[in-house]
Amino acid sequence: DVSPKATSPSNSPHHRELLEGAEEPPPFVPPEVFQRLQTAESQDTSRKALTPIEEASRVNQRLKAKYEARLARLAPGQACQKTSLSLSLQRQMMENLIIAQARQDALQRKMEERRLRLQEEANRRFAASGTTTAEEREQRVIYANILEYEQDHDWPKQWKANLKKSPDDPTLVSGLVSYLLSCPDHPVMTLLRKHQYRVYNHLYPIISKGRLGSPQLHQGRPQTGFPSTFSIAYRNRAEPVSCGLLSRCSVLTYGSLPVVPDQLLSLCLLSFECLNTANSKDLCVASIEEAFFAPLWSPLLVLFRKVYKDREQAFECSMKRYRDASPEVVGVPLKLFPQDASGQQCSYPYQSAVQELKLLCNDCCPQRKLECIVRTLRNICVCAEDYRCHQEVDSPPKSAAISGADDLLPILSYVALRCDCPQLVSECAALEEFIHEGYLIGEEGYCLTSMQSALAYVESLHTGGALLCTAKLT
Amino acid sequence: MASGGGRSSSFKVVLLGEGCVGKTSVVLRYCENKFNDKHITTLQASFLTKKLNITGKRVNLAIWDTAGQERFHALGPIYYRDSNGAILVYDVTDEDSFLKVKNWVKELRKMLGNDICLCIVGNKIDLDKERHVAEEEAESRWEPGHYHTSAKLNKGIEELFLDLCKRMMETAQADERLLKGSGAGQSVPSRRGVQIVDDEPQAAAAGGLLFIWLTHTRTRTHTRIHTIIMPFPLN
Repeated sequence: DVSPKATSPSNSPHHRELLEGAEEPPPFVPPEVFQRLQTAESQDTSRKALTPIEEASRVNQRLKAKYEARLARLAPGQACQKTSLSLSLQRQMMENLIIAQARQDALQRKMEERRLRLQEEANRRFAASGTTTAEEREQRVIYANILEYEQDHDWPKQWKANLKKSPDDPTLVSGLVSYLLSCPDHPVMTLLRKHQYRVYNHLYPIISKGRLGSPQLHQGRPQTGFPSTFSIAYRNRAEPVSCGLLSRCSVLTYGSLPVVPDQLLSLCLLSFECLNTANSKDLCVASIEEAFFAPLWSPLLVLFRKVYKDREQAFECSMKRYRDASPEVVGVPLKLFPQDASGQQCSYPYQSAVQELKLLCNDCCPQRKLECIVRTLRNICVCAEDYRCHQEVDSPPKSAAISGADDLLPILSYVALRCDCPQLVSECAALEEFIHEGYLIGEEGYCLTSMQSALAYVESLHTGGALLCTAKLT
Repeated sequence: MASGGGRSSSFKVVLLGEGCVGKTSVVLRYCENKFNDKHITTLQASFLTKKLNITGKRVNLAIWDTAGQERFHALGPIYYRDSNGAILVYDVTDEDSFLKVKNWVKELRKMLGNDICLCIVGNKIDLDKERHVAEEEAESRWEPGHYHTSAKLNKGIEELFLDLCKRMMETAQADERLLKGSGAGQSVPSRRGVQIVDDEPQAAAAGGLLFIWLTHTRTRTHTRIHTIIMPFPLN
């Protein structure tokens, strides 16, 4: 079962519905509702102080109420007193408003001065970077906003002081990050929401069309001015069949998407320099990524499933045909699975790895999905070791059960086949797109790549390898 | 972010070759100094890393094993894209495995051009008496890019990896110069890039930067300086 962290926006009931309705395209809410849902829980908690004008109008309302009460108590003959009461009320209300206006102006001037001062401070901080790009200018403005926020709120100072005392305390770091993510007014969070809305606004017209959303819907959309990215360009080379749709309909949507958590991270680091250590940065970016992707994964996945419909269908065909086949069919060596199920706790080999992999679709955060794939591969290694121990009881093994990718990939293909989840194809394609580039070269990246290879192999099974040729680079 | 201090770079290296040529043994020997051992990483030799120091520069290698069976041949591109290097292993006693390597060289050059540094490795030289790949060996033994190893006896393996690292570093530096020359160095995105597990976070940041530049050269400009020319005979 899914149990999103308490701080993540995936808590909203809307989101849970999306997860359960996995088969039919879930009915997505319009962007306005989406925005409301994202900010719903935060609105009531943060009531700002009244401005002088607001304050004055409240006072005036009370005065008026008093005046009306006194008027009601007046005897019918006291008409002139009524006039004087009414005049004095008007005078008082007017005075209140004028004073409030003056206070408001002064306050605004002061705020404006402060803003300018903070902006200068922000500019000074970035001065070393030389020429400025639009991004850098935006960053300066946001940094100035952060400085302003920190003057109005005490919590950043307190957290900074605490972290200074014990800078390597991981619980403190995660505490700060989750506190930050729960503050909707913080400029980092404002920016996060802004990006989320931008993405959702672009996704909504595509995904809300349900099954009718055919490629021509998106074709001809002008591409000029949109940020084109490396990954799109790459996809164009790698998968000529489906890339047309992806690059046309969603360059804008997710072209700049993977960099969002990074942009937010660098802002976090600007405001909390204490987070600038390797471990804290990892933790920070993981939390930001989760907060950012949790409400967006379902709509993004709908888009990906449209694009990869053919591949999912191919996967399903193979799955239906080979679901109950022996691991040997996909090339698993005999030594790596038990020939007779007796004495085994599972009904088929590598069942625990299959169960692990099935959990992938439940999560909404790319990072966690990636961890799920890593766990699946490790689980395979553990199972293989177990099976070998059963077969060679007498002689202690002198090498690892799995000698490398030659053994691993067939088993992974078998596990994918058994997983009964064609959606994996789109999930993994989306993961590759959105996962932090830093993970792609490491163990996580290797596991994802292996997973994708296994999926591609399974897809090719029912056609005898014909599909694979189209997946090759041209 | 942090700059200066020591630099470190991360390179992805794919391991290609038929089953039974000992490709995993070569890497195991190098990364863990083991020929055959059951106590290896959690992924059991499919993915290994190695940190080394070359002329004062820290280098992190991520070595990706691939499946050598014919049924998985078409999946190669999924593994080798974005690789900085490839180690193509054959068995000196098995001519078929050598022909397979020659085909891989052609494919990699066709797909990745000179973006990737290739190493052709004839393994199992300890079985010299049964050698079947002799004539090719004669013409390419002293050329860069072709190595002869024995994972069993730990011969030629250090040299192979050291040489590969140096070549990958040269290619990366050439990329960097190219980028600086074109003025593209101004707008380096704030991506964290390669996450390098290192004791010094500052160096990690610098390493990340380097990798980004690499990927951007590959995809945006399509121009790369050809520093390393594979002298291996293609036909």
